[in-house]
Amino acid sequence: MGEKRRSTSKTLGKNKRRKGPHLPNSILKTIANEKRPLNSDEEDDEIDSDDAIVDLYEYEEGVPEEESRKNNRYDPVVNYNYELPEDFEDENVESDDDDEGGNSDNEEGEGDDVVRHTRMLQAVTGMPSAAFDGESKRKPVLFTEAYPESEFNPTRDVLEGKGLLTIDELMAPIEGKPGFNELEKRISRMQKDAQAVVHAPLPKPERERLERKAVKGLVDKEFNKWVHMVKRNREAPTVYFNQNVSLGYSTVGAIASEFQPRTDFEKKMASVLNDNELGEAHDEDGAKLLELNEVSVEDQIKYRDHIAKMRSLLFRHELKSKRIKKIKSKTYHRLKGKDLKKSAMGALMDPEMAKEEAMKQEARRVEERMTLKHKNTGKWAKRMISRGLNVKYDGTRAAISEQLQINATLSRKMNSTNDGSSSDESDDEEELNDGSDQDTPSKLIAKAREKTLKTVEDDEVPNSGLLSLPFMARAMKKKNEEAIEGGKRALEEYEEWENSGGEENPKKTAVVSGRRVFGATAKVEAPKESRKDSDNFYDNSDSDNDTEGIENNDLGAVRDTASPARNTGAITETEKFDDDVENPASKTTFDVALFASGSWKKMKGCQNAETKKKLKKHVPYSKGQDKKESRDDESEDSESEAEEMVDGILTSASKETYEIPSQAELIQRAFAGDDVVDEFEKEKQEVLNQEVPEPEKPVLVPGWGQWTNIQKKRGLPSWMVREHEDAKKKRTLDLKTRKDARLRHVIISEKVDKKVEKLHTTTLPFPYTSKEVFEHSMRMPIGPEFNPATIVGSLNRPEVVKRAGVIIKPLKFEEANPNEKVDDEHPRSNQKQNPKKGGKTGKGQSKGKSKQKTKA
Amino acid sequence: MELSSEDNNLTEKVLPPIEQESDVELETTVKKYLRGEGADLETLKDKKLKTQLASREKLYGKSAKTAAKIEKWLLPAEAGYLETDGLEKTWRVKQTDIANEVDLLSSRNQYDIVLPDFGPYKLDFTASGRHMIAGGRKGHLALVDMMSMNLIKEIQVKETVRDVAFLHNEQFFAAAQKKYAYIYGRDGTELHCLKERGPVSRLRFLKNHFLLASVNKSGQLHYQDVTYGGMVASIRTGKGRTDVMEVNPYNGVVALGHTGGTVTMWKPTSQAPLVQMQCHPGPVSSVAFHPNGHLMATSGKERKLKIWDLRKFEEVQTIHGFHAKTLSFSQKGLLAAGTGSFVQILGDSSGGSSSHNYSRYMNHSMVKGYQIEKLMFRPYEDVIGIGHSMGWSSILIPGSGEPNFDSWVANPFETSKQRREKEVHLLLDKLPPETIMLDPSKIGAMKPSRRKEKQSREEIEAEKEVAIEAAKSTELKKKTKGRNKPSKRTKKKKEMVENAKRTFPEQGHNNTASKKRRIGEDAAAELPASLKRFARKN
Repeated sequence: MGEKRRSTSKTLGKNKRRKGPHLPNSILKTIANEKRPLNSDEEDDEIDSDDAIVDLYEYEEGVPEEESRKNNRYDPVVNYNYELPEDFEDENVESDDDDEGGNSDNEEGEGDDVVRHTRMLQAVTGMPSAAFDGESKRKPVLFTEAYPESEFNPTRDVLEGKGLLTIDELMAPIEGKPGFNELEKRISRMQKDAQAVVHAPLPKPERERLERKAVKGLVDKEFNKWVHMVKRNREAPTVYFNQNVSLGYSTVGAIASEFQPRTDFEKKMASVLNDNELGEAHDEDGAKLLELNEVSVEDQIKYRDHIAKMRSLLFRHELKSKRIKKIKSKTYHRLKGKDLKKSAMGALMDPEMAKEEAMKQEARRVEERMTLKHKNTGKWAKRMISRGLNVKYDGTRAAISEQLQINATLSRKMNSTNDGSSSDESDDEEELNDGSDQDTPSKLIAKAREKTLKTVEDDEVPNSGLLSLPFMARAMKKKNEEAIEGGKRALEEYEEWENSGGEENPKKTAVVSGRRVFGATAKVEAPKESRKDSDNFYDNSDSDNDTEGIENNDLGAVRDTASPARNTGAITETEKFDDDVENPASKTTFDVALFASGSWKKMKGCQNAETKKKLKKHVPYSKGQDKKESRDDESEDSESEAEEMVDGILTSASKETYEIPSQAELIQRAFAGDDVVDEFEKEKQEVLNQEVPEPEKPVLVPGWGQWTNIQKKRGLPSWMVREHEDAKKKRTLDLKTRKDARLRHVIISEKVDKKVEKLHTTTLPFPYTSKEVFEHSMRMPIGPEFNPATIVGSLNRPEVVKRAGVIIKPLKFEEANPNEKVDDEHPRSNQKQNPKKGGKTGKGQSKGKSKQKTKA
Repeated sequence: MELSSEDNNLTEKVLPPIEQESDVELETTVKKYLRGEGADLETLKDKKLKTQLASREKLYGKSAKTAAKIEKWLLPAEAGYLETDGLEKTWRVKQTDIANEVDLLSSRNQYDIVLPDFGPYKLDFTASGRHMIAGGRKGHLALVDMMSMNLIKEIQVKETVRDVAFLHNEQFFAAAQKKYAYIYGRDGTELHCLKERGPVSRLRFLKNHFLLASVNKSGQLHYQDVTYGGMVASIRTGKGRTDVMEVNPYNGVVALGHTGGTVTMWKPTSQAPLVQMQCHPGPVSSVAFHPNGHLMATSGKERKLKIWDLRKFEEVQTIHGFHAKTLSFSQKGLLAAGTGSFVQILGDSSGGSSSHNYSRYMNHSMVKGYQIEKLMFRPYEDVIGIGHSMGWSSILIPGSGEPNFDSWVANPFETSKQRREKEVHLLLDKLPPETIMLDPSKIGAMKPSRRKEKQSREEIEAEKEVAIEAAKSTELKKKTKGRNKPSKRTKKKKEMVENAKRTFPEQGHNNTASKKRRIGEDAAAELPASLKRFARKN
């Protein structure tokens, strides 16, 4: 606030100074104020330098700053409220003209009016009439000058233009002085010029507008030149940037040929290389120098022999190694390895040295054993491990593991010596674990017996803890008893096996390999049963053949156990077919369609013979009609197939053919066409209800709107009814617009498949604005499978064709024939390369161009 | 660029002035290759887009024209057909008559292979028609090279075989056996046992999607991706047992025929059928699809054969007094129907117009007592394979097969190297299962507009923008007496914009605010008690 005030006061101050001569009184007052002391304490801190002016502002407070129109800081407020258009006329006020038109004695009336008017004013204000008289007349105003007249304070008439200075007046004092004539001439010339009328300059916006117009014209002209090019490029399906591109040098040689030495060194080199004298000298002497390089025959022969020898040696060595490599004997290799070791040792040192070395090695080993130096028991290793540094740093970890490695290598000898005694035991154990060793079954059994005996014998009950509780003890006892029994049984078995000896062994191996089981009788039974089950499952449809099938199956299984199970099953299957042919009394199942309910029922257990008899009864009826009609096997049982087959064979053999419709078919035919159509209609209704659900009936919430009889009588509120009606109408409309609305025999699902939605676009792709246009343009496939090979390329050409590495240069202006048609077959290049500087390349390019032209 | 210019030259040169007249002839084929009309570009305001689309359209036109020309000039063979004069009828022509007329190579395609022991045979051809797999009911599987008539591999699985199907090439085939379906290699080794499906009654392979579709005895439809073995879909049809199953080659939709006389169409991504059609009052005995996917033939037990237009789901034609146990469409649109030991071939006599009129074209009677199990036209040959109770047979049906094969699609003379290459390409081009739909041409189009359930935030934002724009661009009335001042006008305008904004509920801000608060609370909760008062409160 303070700041603002200050600034305003400043501007005010300026105003004062500028209009000084007009407001002498105010200036006087400011001068007076300057001498006056500050009156307000509050403003002390705010005001520093412009105190006096601030005071001045306060003095002039009544004048609003905005209205002064001197301050540019404020937006100029156009006083719209009080401005009236020029042609505005207030209807309520009668104009003088009207009056004139109305009155015949206008002059008198006017004079009268004036008199009356002054009189009225007099009466109202109570001032003498003279005060009002002077309104029309101007009175001479007396000005008293408040300050001495000077060049800085010009007089009033000077300001108002009466006593204007002329150039002549100004020139008068210097008349006769040197250079005056010249000046006078110039001035006269100027005055002459000034006689031609100089118009006031146009207002700035107008001037600018004109300027803009002119510029626009120019620019338009410049731009219009480009229009056809831009248009052509925009409309072209493809823009090409790959033409007239020469990549400059094609070979290294071309690059090298253009080489110009630049640096001093290069220049020196060039001078030496290109020196003709040097070249000549070489040409002359070079040959001689070569001639001087003579080789003696002996040397040559020696060298050749040496080479031959080395070659032969190499060859022999190769042969030898090949032969050795072929040897596959293990013992040979073992011995060879040993030899190699020995020879290596022996070759390196004599026996004494070897002994010494061995001793050293032994000593080191012993030391290792004594100190366990490398078992991470050292001071450093312990420290590392205790601080967990071995985990942290890879280096320490590696070092520690290396120590362990050393330990292992050094202590290995010890182990190897110990092995001799302990290996037997471990071997034994391993064999036990394997159980595959053929030689030690008796041993195995003995061991097992021992173990079981041990377990049987040691059945001590712990005296304390959870297991000493009475119920636990009881349970334990029970368990133990069972275990003991089991153990005993096992023992017996072991004994049996031991007695039977080696004979049983192969069987045992068979147990291990596992398909057939001998031994416990219960185990034998199980697979048989399972097979039976599976068979039942297989032969569900032809029910009563099962037992036979099983028997067959078992027999088959017994006969050739080696063949896979399915094979045997299949064999029995075929056998069954045969059985069916032979067995007319076998039972069959029929699938019976009950169309009324639309469901299937299975009927079982008709005697085949009976059905056949029935069929025979039908034969005479169907003989004529169904001669050509084939039998249908809607129900596909293996049984009926077999029959059919039999029929086929029989009928083909015999001369007369007529089909015997099967029972199932007869029933189907009998029930077919009952009310299939009705059912379909019902189904359609259901589907429709599902897809376009019926609107729910409006229901009042119990207790609401049923307080009085009137309410009850009124029934449902009208809005509910209306809504319901609307929903119903909408439904009928929806039903009418369905695709299957007019097709009674068809239901077309109109469910929205969400998975399909992703195959449609939700919005039109960019340039398209209408759906029809888009879909029409989509109709043609553009792939190579659907179009002739000659068109596929142009159908799938990208919008911009450009070779990699080509620089796209800005568009260059070219004169074009406005009538020329844009032809995509003859694409013009947008790339105009500057011709190469070098004459050669330029030529090459032009050649290339001409070639292209001929091609096109 | 050079390529395109050459093209230009070529197209220019190919068209001598005399040939201008034959352009009319080309028109129809060009139209076929144009695949519909181009968009109306006049309605477009965007000039750039307009020119771009126009050039695109030009290219399409050129492509179609070239394709039509290639078809006219370069395709070597034309489809043959039986021609009779006078009172002769095509259906009176016997196979023996044909055998006398045709060349030696073709007459080799007439044969019966009698294998009485292993009972009615199912057949399947590879897409190129080079190989055939025959599956006898009683477990006999035979893979045959039809070109050289070599038996490549023959195995006896000693189980009921209900159906056989090739996978993408002759290297693999699937067989629906008694309990499970199995996949075998070319050399008869069992590669996979598909236990998940249960006892399968019909197997079909969807070539473009690499899906092995099967329907089992309890009416469950399974789709298994054979590339990675995953079960893509298992659908309970709820219509009971069926053994009528066919794949629409055009869109991969699987059709099942049911005992209620309905045909249902399925895709792996939905549990409900795409379409249910009440085709017959009795059980449907077989279904077949025209290769272009627009026609479906069904036959019911009530001795009617119906042809349906799948674009309108309307019946096109009903042929009375004929019940087909098996139906098959040839590549050229002939329809074969087999009953008992009798094969009837129906031909479209309307000559390619939209109204189809199938009538008798040829007949063939097998030896009495042979029960026809499966009919299948051999691709790229005028041959139909007949699997029956006594083996399989092959007869000549002139004009049934596509005369010119496209090695991009299927190549009967494929070398092993080409086959390997093709396999990789097929795998790369494998379609995801969701692309199976009734109209696959809709893929890539705009999402069909549904009823607006809930506007997304973007949509609401967009609407808001529009409303604000509208508010900003409204012309204010010229008011008098100082109310037309710019300050007042701007104020008024601001107010209008604010009002426009206010009609749209604030989106998301509340949410984020609450989230922020929650985050702050969490932070406060995590801090120790002494520091809690320093936690920032939002």
